[in-house]
Amino acid sequence: MPMRALRAEPADAPEPPSDLAREPWYRQLIRSLLDGQRVDREKKTKARLGLAVVAFTLVYGVIAVRLATLPIVADAPAPRRAGAQETDATARPDILDRNGEVLATDIKAPSLAAQPPKVRAINVDEAVELLTAVMPDLDAAELRTRLGSNRKFVWLRREISAEQQKQVKQSGVPGLTFFEENKRVYPNGADVSHVLGYVDVDNNGSAGIEKWLDNKGLRDLHQAGFASDRQQKPVQLAIDLRVQHAVRNELLAADEKFRAEGAAAIVLDVRTGEVVALVSIPDYDPNNPGRGVLEFSRINRLTKGVYEMGSTFKALTVAMALDSGKVKLSSSFDASAPLHYGRFTIHDFHPQNRVLTVPEIFTYSSNIGAARMALALGVQEHYAFLKKLGQLDRLRTELPEGREPIVPAPWGEINTATISFGHGLSVAPLQAVMGVAALVNGGMLIPPTFLKRSQEDARAVATRVIKPETSAMMRYLMRLNAEKGSAKQADVPGYYVGGKTGTAEKVINGHYVKTRLLTDFMAVLPADDPRYVVLVMLDEPLGLPENNGSAISAYNAGPTAAKIVARIAPLLGLEPRFELPPADRLILASARETR
Amino acid sequence: MKLVRLLNLVVVAVLVLAAAYVYKIKFESTQQAQYVAKLRQDIRAEHDAVAALRAEWSQLDSPGRIQGIVERHFALKPVDVTQFDGFDHLPGRPVEVVSPDVADPIGAVIESLHDDLPTGSMKGRAH
Repeated sequence: MPMRALRAEPADAPEPPSDLAREPWYRQLIRSLLDGQRVDREKKTKARLGLAVVAFTLVYGVIAVRLATLPIVADAPAPRRAGAQETDATARPDILDRNGEVLATDIKAPSLAAQPPKVRAINVDEAVELLTAVMPDLDAAELRTRLGSNRKFVWLRREISAEQQKQVKQSGVPGLTFFEENKRVYPNGADVSHVLGYVDVDNNGSAGIEKWLDNKGLRDLHQAGFASDRQQKPVQLAIDLRVQHAVRNELLAADEKFRAEGAAAIVLDVRTGEVVALVSIPDYDPNNPGRGVLEFSRINRLTKGVYEMGSTFKALTVAMALDSGKVKLSSSFDASAPLHYGRFTIHDFHPQNRVLTVPEIFTYSSNIGAARMALALGVQEHYAFLKKLGQLDRLRTELPEGREPIVPAPWGEINTATISFGHGLSVAPLQAVMGVAALVNGGMLIPPTFLKRSQEDARAVATRVIKPETSAMMRYLMRLNAEKGSAKQADVPGYYVGGKTGTAEKVINGHYVKTRLLTDFMAVLPADDPRYVVLVMLDEPLGLPENNGSAISAYNAGPTAAKIVARIAPLLGLEPRFELPPADRLILASARETR
Repeated sequence: MKLVRLLNLVVVAVLVLAAAYVYKIKFESTQQAQYVAKLRQDIRAEHDAVAALRAEWSQLDSPGRIQGIVERHFALKPVDVTQFDGFDHLPGRPVEVVSPDVADPIGAVIESLHDDLPTGSMKGRAH
């Protein structure tokens, strides 16, 4: 018997026959229930009854407690209506600019759908007539086939206005239903287009930050139906709407004036790597991107396009040479004669035909000097430096639009010679801006971002690429160039602008074409303690008669940059300062002191 | 046995009361739940309305639109860089003609006229 086994008593102690009273009560109960003939019947019945009473009491107790708690405990949330679920599923977070201005938001718009069998309760033709009376742009023939179909549900019109909804209701056509859908609106229209991107009719991001949001997990949320608008935090961009508008406005004017194929500009905060404004013309209205939005001419030239940046690349060459320690500001290079490389000859645009010092090479924008400088350091070091500055790998930002730079392979001496002045290596302009920002901000390479970022966060992702002293010399050269060099046209009194022009001939069918230029201008603002780098780029500008038909950067991109700087500097909170000493006294002298 | 019958009666009465009470609570809670649902719906509607108004406001406030309006209706020019200045360059506060706690301010003004009074104009300051 099991009980015997349970009673583990020492074997030498004989079991007392009448110790039942000392047993615990539950053992007595079980014993009385199980032990057959040995106990008397009355006791057994009593025990069994007792057990039944206990069991029933428990069951009824549970029922009573459950009854009492039913009204107290909250009901499980009732499942939402299908319509509500549908609108929630396509909600997107608001996108704000750095000051909290709305760049993109969702509003609810009714969409019209129909159940054709119910509509056919009245004459289909009559229904079509009533509906086209409200929405005249609705295609009557298509409407007729849709309503005549055997499907149980057809969409008639997505995103109609509240007024139209009212009129449709009043028309009294049966079998129509409205669904509240989220409609994405971009209140600033084309002002912020390439950065934001746009969404399709189902509110899925198709380009720009909108697509980035989807890739970041919003699409999964949408598909799971969890993207309710209340749980989504707005996304704050680094873009300053006012600056963005001012830049676009000036750029449109320049695009018109120089009848360029396209124009683009970036304003980058050199301390945080934030993109404060990014404009690429031609652009589009994200509210209504239209069919041509994917055409090549409308790409985001600053991230998706790659270009030979021309002389602005000399800044990188000079910085490399100065940072290596092998070249000093006072070093000189022979630019007296063109440089021959097999069948290539490197000329200067403004030939001086003499030995030039480093600042002269920079301000006269001497190709020969830059090439000699790069060659003095060697191919390996040149490649390694550009690699370190992120010019040879695809730049990854939040924007999905991007492209690998076109790097020559193999990279020989001739490549180093031409790349030293910005030919033979095509990079995304944003990438070049990142490099120049690193040259002037004290030597830290900060990956650019379109999202708001603090200086601490920027420091965490920054890497040192050149020495602070080299950076001071670069700031001096940039400013010097605006004082007496090719960037004179871009100087804005009061803001101590430094800069470098760049003009590159475009490659058409494998040949450089002299008349189709890409001009750019890299402005540093203010040059003694840079806060922003502004890049202006014009794609195939025409030469104007007042410039003798010349379309080099100093005649178009430079002055455009000056106009942009004059307009955005107050918006960026830069204080105008007059009567500042020239660059050699302000920047170079102070750099020597701190050393 | 009498005691048992009394007990039964009491139990029945308690049961009826409990049932009534439970019904009341349940009814009220249903009402509250409906109220909550209605409030939720109202909040939703308000949210949507706020979103629509915010979108409209940003549209009206967008720099492109404002620039268009300004160009159409005003002969304004962009601010020139020389039109900004810092607080450091503000001229100092003009000298008080009369200190405020003088009992007879007019008399004090006449009195002070005998002195070389700074009028605030450049000519006056040049003295």
